[in-house]
Amino acid sequence: MTPVPPPGFTSTHLIDPFELHVGPIFEQGVKGARRFAFIVDARHINMRGILHGGMLMTFADAALGQAAWDACDHARCVTLTMQSQFIAPAKVGDLVEVAPVLTRRTRSLMFLRGDFTVVGEPIYTVSSVWKLLGLD
Amino acid sequence: MSTTVNALPPGAETVSIGGFNLFAGPFWRLAPDGEIRRFAFVVAEKHMNGSGNLHGGVLMTFSDVAMSQTARAANGARPCNTVSLNCDFIGPGRLGDVVEARVRVTRQTRTMIFLSADIVVGERVLGVATGLWKLA
Repeated sequence: MTPVPPPGFTSTHLIDPFELHVGPIFEQGVKGARRFAFIVDARHINMRGILHGGMLMTFADAALGQAAWDACDHARCVTLTMQSQFIAPAKVGDLVEVAPVLTRRTRSLMFLRGDFTVVGEPIYTVSSVWKLLGLD
Repeated sequence: MSTTVNALPPGAETVSIGGFNLFAGPFWRLAPDGEIRRFAFVVAEKHMNGSGNLHGGVLMTFSDVAMSQTARAANGARPCNTVSLNCDFIGPGRLGDVVEARVRVTRQTRTMIFLSADIVVGERVLGVATGLWKLA
């Protein structure tokens, strides 16, 4: 039961086992300006029937990680810190979207943020810092 | 070859009944250590990233589950929602690690609960999480 990409989106090429486990993830746009999305399904909800915060944080790490990768030409990088705010619930069938923003890139750090929406309404927001490995 | 490093302590009880909690887990409740509530999970293949380390999304999901369980226990099992969760990624987790969350209630008001968690493997620190929960 692999969800079909929504109109205008293609499947993101994932390599991390945990992202393959929770995915697929979809994208549109070009390198450096990609928009990412996933469809909430029964695997992603909590016992109250709404989207689990863990899935949102995993999607955020994946989507902002893809954007970080775009920004550093696929150099190795890791998440140093991530701040999440949960604004509103989402339910099965919702399309959760984000267009990650590169706030700043230094030689060894990347600052990324993202506002996550369902049909244009904000549900979740994230800011994060990423480290390029091997650079002090 | 199995070793005791990969084993949960005796008496561990699952907190993964269904949904994303089980799909991403399973996660376990351990006996408390005084005021500190303890939870654990064993890093499996599905939890990894492409670099062969524990995926950040799993670490944040585990933090959310452990702190949400603690928030609920602290307020007499009333439902509560994660409002914010901040996570610093301090060291890598590896396949087979028994990852433990050590959760503290920092402050509890009539409607809010402030929590913090150290995410460790023995003496090794993987992450530190803080968060804010609101009673529903």
